[in-house]
Amino acid sequence: MDPLFYIADTLVFAGIFALLTLSLNLEYGFTGLGNFGKVAFFMAGAYTYAVMASAHMPCYLCLIGAGLAAGLIGFLITFPVLRLREDYLAIVTLSFGEILRITIKAQEGIAGGVQGIVVPGAFAPFTDSVRLLALANIGLVLFCLLFTFLLVQLLTHSPYGRILRGIREDETAMQAIGKNTVIYKAGALATGSVIAGVAGGLFAQYISFIDPYMFLPLVTFFVWIMLILGGPGNNWGALLGGLTVELINRGTRIAKDYLSLPVDPNNLQFILFGMLIILFLLYRPQGLLPEGPVKTAARKEVLRWRSSLPTGS
Amino acid sequence: MEILVADRLIKDFGGLRVLNEASLTVTEGTITGLVGPNGSGKTTFFNVLYGLLKPDGGSIHFRGEPITGLPPYRIYRKGMALGFQIPRLISRLTVLDNLLLAVRQEDGTGLGTALFARRHWQEKEKGLTYKAREILELVELAPLALKPAGELSGGQRKLLEIGRALMADPVMLLLDEPAAGVNPVLGRKIYATLERLQREKGLTFLVIEHRLEMLLDFAHYVYLMDAGRIVLAGKPAEVIAHPDFYTIYAGESYQWLS
Repeated sequence: MDPLFYIADTLVFAGIFALLTLSLNLEYGFTGLGNFGKVAFFMAGAYTYAVMASAHMPCYLCLIGAGLAAGLIGFLITFPVLRLREDYLAIVTLSFGEILRITIKAQEGIAGGVQGIVVPGAFAPFTDSVRLLALANIGLVLFCLLFTFLLVQLLTHSPYGRILRGIREDETAMQAIGKNTVIYKAGALATGSVIAGVAGGLFAQYISFIDPYMFLPLVTFFVWIMLILGGPGNNWGALLGGLTVELINRGTRIAKDYLSLPVDPNNLQFILFGMLIILFLLYRPQGLLPEGPVKTAARKEVLRWRSSLPTGS
Repeated sequence: MEILVADRLIKDFGGLRVLNEASLTVTEGTITGLVGPNGSGKTTFFNVLYGLLKPDGGSIHFRGEPITGLPPYRIYRKGMALGFQIPRLISRLTVLDNLLLAVRQEDGTGLGTALFARRHWQEKEKGLTYKAREILELVELAPLALKPAGELSGGQRKLLEIGRALMADPVMLLLDEPAAGVNPVLGRKIYATLERLQREKGLTFLVIEHRLEMLLDFAHYVYLMDAGRIVLAGKPAEVIAHPDFYTIYAGESYQWLS
């Protein structure tokens, strides 16, 4: 096979997972919400895209639809538990992912059920060249990634983002200073779900066939590994984590053919990821790129007048 | 004129009645003290007044409006602020961010405005830094403005907690031992600052305080609490002169005060 195609494939997947990591970063990294059902919103986006694209709607509409559907589901699923302790959110999201997957698997009528559904490619009508197709896919994913990155960057370096970080640290204190924390948590989860939905749409479009077996809880855990490695609370870290983990993932798949190991080589990456998680949580919980300060005009202003103080620190 | 009226508040924790028909009235523009032995229910009283706990009976009125059972964020928006006994700062954010978080109606705090009214809130935020600076200078934390709040010492945290409560321009502050954990000179300074704010801006303070000399010097009115109810009320000198004050609270070694 064309080695360029393998690189292109890696890039597309790294981009899609970076999107998921950015969305988890908004929820967990900034707001402290443990969403253990990321795959559910990814899946909702993928299936919405598949159904809409099968109805011959244009690609951009399908992507918007995928984002909105996932966002709406995210809001409806999580809103009732946001008043409860945070562990309940983890339980509800984790189980919702499984419920969604098993429901679609069991229902012939919903988007092909267990047999899966073919997704028409967005660029297929325009070209037959495999290389051009790969390039177009990379372009689409990178465009969405860039747009999302700018969005979350602007959002997290604003008074809104400051409140999200405050909620992560001490929700009661934030209520005591006038913040309706439930609304903020719902906003972060809905936005995160929209991003995950778009990632799902891109995924469906790219691989052109989806079935329920692609949306195992493993996807969620991969996203968590990416965020923990990259650096929760840092959007650059989320990008880096997505790319690094995807490269390790691909690298170990190739490496296992050349290594002789005392264990089943297919398990190599799971051993590696497990070790990485433990090592990072123990020795570098802030991830590769630690969280930075909230950058707004106020910070610049204070930097300016602080330099004129006699005892600056 | 009374700004805060609590009428026969009841709060039960399981079978334990922590507030037993506790009532109190705070007059606008005064410093009112709340004293009582440990476990008498002072902090619970504050938590109920501020909506952090829902009362099991009784009513609370703030500026003539009923606020019984409202969540704290709505009480805050009505102009009351609370300083916790143990400061609850956002430790990974800077001192400056902690102050900015407390602004009552800050622009750019909504999902939409944060993104689409960027220039607008950036401009407003620049203006807010001047106010933040004033408060930081008041509590002597200006050089530490960009330090994470978690790196402050215990006394500095206490000061920042008060500064944060002031950032919202409240009309009334509930402060749980504002001078606890700071040295006596700074403690007096905190009270002198509160008194100045009361005199110049007409702010109202309700403070829990264990240092009797502070109450004698700064408070206009004092309530003594015991076992979930108010047992004595009056001007500081009157309360301190009352024999019950010693049996319930201060102990005989403090008799010299009267």
